[in-house]
Parts: sequence; C-alpha cells; structure tokens
Amino acid sequence: MALLEVTNLIAGYGKVEVISDVSFTLEPGKSIGIVGPNGVGKSTLLQAIAGGIAPKSGSIIFDGKNISGKKPEDIVRLGLSLVPEGRQIFSGLSVKENLSLGLTGRRNKKGANEAIAKMRELFPVLSTHENHQAGMLSGGQQQQLAIARALISEPKVLLLDEPSLGLAPTVITDVFERLREIIGMGTAVVIVEQRANLVTSFAERTIVIRDGRVQATLTPADAANSESLQRSYFGAGE
Amino acid sequence: MVQSILDAISLGGLYSLAALGLGLVFGVMRLVNFAHAELITIAAYTLVLTTQFPLVISLLFTVIITVFVALLMEFSIYRRLRGVNPAIMLIASFGLSTVLQRVYELMFGALPRSAVVAPFLRGDFKIAGLSITISSVITIVLTITILLAMGYLVEKTSLGLQLRAASADFKTARLLGVRSNRLISAAFGLSGVLAACVALILVIQNPQISPYYGLNITILSLVGIVIGGIASLRGAALGGFIVGVVLSSLNTLLGNGRVYAYSWLFILVLVILLVRPGGLLSKGTELERV
Repeated sequence: MALLEVTNLIAGYGKVEVISDVSFTLEPGKSIGIVGPNGVGKSTLLQAIAGGIAPKSGSIIFDGKNISGKKPEDIVRLGLSLVPEGRQIFSGLSVKENLSLGLTGRRNKKGANEAIAKMRELFPVLSTHENHQAGMLSGGQQQQLAIARALISEPKVLLLDEPSLGLAPTVITDVFERLREIIGMGTAVVIVEQRANLVTSFAERTIVIRDGRVQATLTPADAANSESLQRSYFGAGE
Repeated sequence: MVQSILDAISLGGLYSLAALGLGLVFGVMRLVNFAHAELITIAAYTLVLTTQFPLVISLLFTVIITVFVALLMEFSIYRRLRGVNPAIMLIASFGLSTVLQRVYELMFGALPRSAVVAPFLRGDFKIAGLSITISSVITIVLTITILLAMGYLVEKTSLGLQLRAASADFKTARLLGVRSNRLISAAFGLSGVLAACVALILVIQNPQISPYYGLNITILSLVGIVIGGIASLRGAALGGFIVGVVLSSLNTLLGNGRVYAYSWLFILVLVILLVRPGGLLSKGTELERV
C-alpha cells in the first residue's frame, strides 16, 4: 500500500491556481523526484502536502488518513516533515536550539535525546557547531541543519524543497549522499529540484510538472539520455 | 538625588514590563495590541475592589481575571483576524480598547475607584539620613524579579524557544510542530500576567482607578518598543526602560518646565528613529515589520 497518495490535487494562492491536477504515489522507504521549470508550482505542491497552504481540491492520503487541509503542526505529528525552500533555519538561534525545535513535532515524547544523538552521528558537523548561531553556518551546513531538524520528528516521509539551492557542487554531492543514507534507514523521500538530471538519477522515479500538471514520469535511465530529459522538461517536440 | 535615581530606575523597570507584555504578543502575531492598556486597567480595578481580602488572595484574583480577559480577547477577536493585514489588526485593537473602556465605565462608573492597596508599602524609610520611599524600592525589586523570571522563561524553557522561533518565522515554526493556537494563547496569557504585575506596581503609587488607567503607560511603552526595536523582546524591554528613565529624569531636571517633559521625550524618540529606523537593537533596518 502506498504511504503517500496524492490524487487530482489542485492548489494555489488566492484565486490563482498554480497546481491544476497532480497525482502521484510514494511507497514506504522509496524516493520520488519532482522536477519542472521555475514557477510551475513545485514548492506550492509541497506546501499543500505539508499543510502550509490549504489545497483547493483533491485528496492527500498519508498513512491511511486524509491530511488535505490539515494544519502543518498536526501533519508533522503524523509523520510527514518538510524541509522548506531556502532552508529557513532560525538564524538568530543556536544550532542546538534549532534542533530542539524539531522535537516539537515528535509523536512520541520519549527518545528525544536518542533522536538528537542520531542526528549528531549523521551530521557530525552540527555537533561541532552546536552552540554557534545557526546564521553563522555555511550554506551546506545550514542545509544539513534543516534536514536534521526535520528528521528529529522521525518522519515516515521527508519532503525536501530544492536541497541543492545555492550550494557548491561538491556540497550538493555530500547532501545527496546523506539523503541516500536517510532513505536507507527507511524514510521515504520526496525531492523537488530545478536540477533535473541530478534528481532523476537519484530518485527511483521522477515526475515532471509543467503548467500545473504531471507531464511525464522519468526513471534513472532517462537521466543518461539528455534528449528525453529535455523533451519532457521543456515540452519540445510536442 | 538618590530618590530621583531610584524613581527613574523604578519607572524604567515598570515601562519595560509593560513593553514586554506588548512585545510578546507582537512577536507571535505582528499585532500591536492597544487593548493591553485595558488589561492593565482591569487588573488595577480588581486590585482595588478586592482589598477586603488578604493581599495574596487579591493578587491571585487579579492575575486570574487579567489572564482570562487576555485569553478572551485573543479567542473572540484576534484569532478571527489572524493572517490579515497588520493595519487591520491594529485598528481592531483600537476598537477593542475603546469598547473595553466603555464596558469598564458601565461596570465601575466614570469616576475613579480608589482603595488603599498594601498600605504597608507606603511611606518612606531613612538610610544614612536619606529619605527613600518604600514603594520605589519594592518596585525595583519586583521588576528585577519579574524580568529575571521572564528572561529564564524566554531563554531556557521550551515554551520560550517556541516563542522566539515563532517570532522569527511562524510559518517554519508550525512546520516543525509548534501549535499556533496554543502558542498565541500562551503569549496572550503571559502578557496578561505582565499586565497584572504592572497594575500592582502602578496601584501602589496611584490607587485612583478610572476606565483609562492603563492608557498612558501603554502608549509610552509602545514608544519604548519602537525605540528599542520592535522585533526583539530584549529590545522592547530596553526601550521601555529608556523611556521610563528619561521621562522620570526629565520630570526631575525640568522643574517647573516639566509640562514639556513629553515634548522632549518625543524629540529624543524622533532623533533615535532618524539615526536607527529599526530601533536601537536592530541589525540593520527592519522597516517592513513596523
């Protein structure tokens, strides 16, 4: 059974409809990529799933429950966590405090220390900078902090909005390496990216969104074939 | 001279408590709650109307009633306005403030209600030949205690961490699991507790309670918040303190010219804002928040 099932989702801001009709499913412990040109509504889609905005229609079934239109603070407690675009760490708070905030969304209040210890192990750089202001970290470190903070609630599904944004290529490789470990530990992952080939080669399946709709589904094999990638991305040849 | 310094410090402390109450609510809602004045007023009424009970019981009543009114405000009015333009919330808070003043007038009459609260705190004592009022010392001790308690709450507790995070970025805080309704209620509740503390200190000095009792201090502590930097609680407390100290000092220094104290105060405010538009403790300008 699918862990996350999005069906005919329509979402947007005010009267503007950004996502017109998107459906996809995600199985436990798997990964899915979402790509598409700038402004097609990839972030809107993630926000609608995580409760940041209320969808206009369609259903979002997570772990057997319809979470469409629920509050973000309730959705995270069910086990679905979003790493928002631009990381959105609390730059004025310390690294430790940022991590502690992640504890707020835990279903189970026990095991908090273990969860933090686990993140220290997964992201060693965070424990060396524990008492520093989060705003002083480098971009890659901030991204790691944002991912760690979202993982502390031990989500079944982790949504990531452009984890590569503003990072140097070697740092991007490093971040995606961590994501592979996270998937290996059983967390299902949804990654929104502008860099189509990066995520297509990474995720088991990647959907291409254009004009608010799913235009194509790609597999890692397509990543090697730049022509098919370009065609589905830009709609050339239609 | 010593008395003047103590007066300045105690007035500063008092204003910083009022500013903190306003700052807490502003932080989580971007709401300048003018009706904070009416929280101070209801607390003051409760204090003078319950003098037949022992002070501790009377204080307990006061805190309960003030927190109740604060929560009621949030639940019945501000919760419905969440997410709307801050200008609309500001006007709503003006309206609420006026309505509550009328309600108090109907309940308690337009004439001041008065009773002696904590008579043992009146009068003065002598140290090294200097006469010092008990109330100024009590005010300073109370203020420092409350400020330390607030500092602990904001810096060291989970609630405080959530308040700081939500003040910086409420949307992200919610994504991490911060419960918005509960946190905003907590901020209002705390602002109610602070209003009750402010009222206690004010009433010891001036027990003539009218429906507009809390207005003056609220407006002046708002000035303090603007000076200190509206974005941070530290800034709010510091700004409130500065306004209190300056106003008290002006009253002493100007002698017969003290009618102009407010004018001088506002000239100072204008100068500070020209130099640092975002407030004294701001990092760069944060004009978009005001």
